[in-house]
Amino acid sequence: MSLTYGAIGWNRQKKIYDLVLACGIVLYLSLFIGLGAWLNPGATVETLLIRGFGTCALLLLHIVLIIGPLCRIDARFLPLLYNRRHLGVTTFIMGLAHAGLAIFQFHALGDLNPFVSLLVSNTRFFSLPDFPFQQLGFGALVILFLMASTSHDFWLANLSAPVWKRLHMSVYAAYALLIAHVTLGVLQAETNPLLAAALGAGLASVISLHLVSGSREVRADSHSSLSSFDGAGEFVDVCSVDEIAEKRARIVTLAGERVAVFKYDGKISVLSNVCQHQNGPLGEGRIVDGCVTCPWHGFQYLPDSGASPPPFIERVPTFRVKVDGGRVLVNPRPLPPGTRVEPARIDANASG
Amino acid sequence: MITFAKWKLAIFGIYLVIGAVFAVVFLAIGIARVDPAAKGSPIGFRLLIFPGVVALWPYLLSRWIGGEHAPRTERNSHRDGSGGADQ
Ligand code: HEM
Ligand code: FES
Repeated sequence: MSLTYGAIGWNRQKKIYDLVLACGIVLYLSLFIGLGAWLNPGATVETLLIRGFGTCALLLLHIVLIIGPLCRIDARFLPLLYNRRHLGVTTFIMGLAHAGLAIFQFHALGDLNPFVSLLVSNTRFFSLPDFPFQQLGFGALVILFLMASTSHDFWLANLSAPVWKRLHMSVYAAYALLIAHVTLGVLQAETNPLLAAALGAGLASVISLHLVSGSREVRADSHSSLSSFDGAGEFVDVCSVDEIAEKRARIVTLAGERVAVFKYDGKISVLSNVCQHQNGPLGEGRIVDGCVTCPWHGFQYLPDSGASPPPFIERVPTFRVKVDGGRVLVNPRPLPPGTRVEPARIDANASG
Repeated sequence: MITFAKWKLAIFGIYLVIGAVFAVVFLAIGIARVDPAAKGSPIGFRLLIFPGVVALWPYLLSRWIGGEHAPRTERNSHRDGSGGADQ
């Protein structure tokens, strides 16, 4: 949505988001360290900081991972998604602080270079209770670094979306590495039943939310795949006008991909559901200031042409549409991105 | 064992040093050639992508050598089916 890149596109919502995030982290760390020092007077500040940063990073990673499925299940979670990348970068920074302190505390005090020490001080890869779990954490940190450092839209555009997406899907690999890092690491240190329970609950919620939202998507798609052509064999009956809320859309599958059928100001327009930015679901967004607004990062498109208002240049394919007897009929052939289509008038056809 | 680990780290270190030197030159000149949208972008943006350039410098070097072209738009079945020219 920009002609040239800026550093960080802050607006009011994102500032509030980041403020809440920063306060949450400060609160979490002070509580963790305060309680830790009180319950466990023998623990050094370094140890408490290492554990505080580590658990904070892992907690943030859980939030990052469940936001996606939560938003698919209930649109009220969308504000969380809006600035998820700042959450991801913060996760990396917390993980880095944890790892840096851990390397310093456990590896920097000998004669070996701390990084050499990290690699060689423990090579018992075939022993579960003695496994060098630090290297698993290191692997996860490398993935988190690659994701954080490529989170700017410059990278999305220049690595190309498929590569960028594959890179960012590796967050699940990082998550698996971290589960192993913590499980094996804590197994080796004193066992803390609270951490084990929290980790189990976190893992269960991540997995179950992904399963629930995934199965819903599959069901929704099979319900909305349409094939009932009208008499002329050109237009497909997709839904009734009344099924769509004002300034919102209904999503159906046409031509192998989802389309968004928007209703606004007595008119109907149909766009490809796939946002040009990161494939966000346009049909889950609303019409704001006359523009279809993507729920993920707020890119905007004019409903009749699928083009972003000038000076922006993003465009999505559009579809021919008419209203007949209160039913919305759509031609399933996508038109080239940005093609203006006369919106179908609802009133003129109300009588059928 | 220790020598092997030292070698690995040395290679990694050299990769990063080359990356850092490359990143300075790339962010000063190369970036506008690789992505026209980055022409005249502020210093804050360039600093923000610095770590990524250090890490992924071989890729950006190949893009730079390949010459100027706007990044591609992602394909999907609507864009393919529309037959429209994607920018
Ligand atoms: C080079 C990378 C890393 C190293 C060397 C490392 C090292 C360690 C060490 C030594 C411990 C045990 C601390 C203790 O019990 O006192 C630990 C625990 C832990 N680490 Fe890491 N870590 C790394 C990366 C990460 C990352 C990236 C995360 C999260 C995003 C993470 C999350 C945790 C958590 C949640 C624990 C359990 C905390 C606890 O013991 O209560 N670690 N790590
Ligand atoms: S604005 Fe980012 S996906 Fe639509």
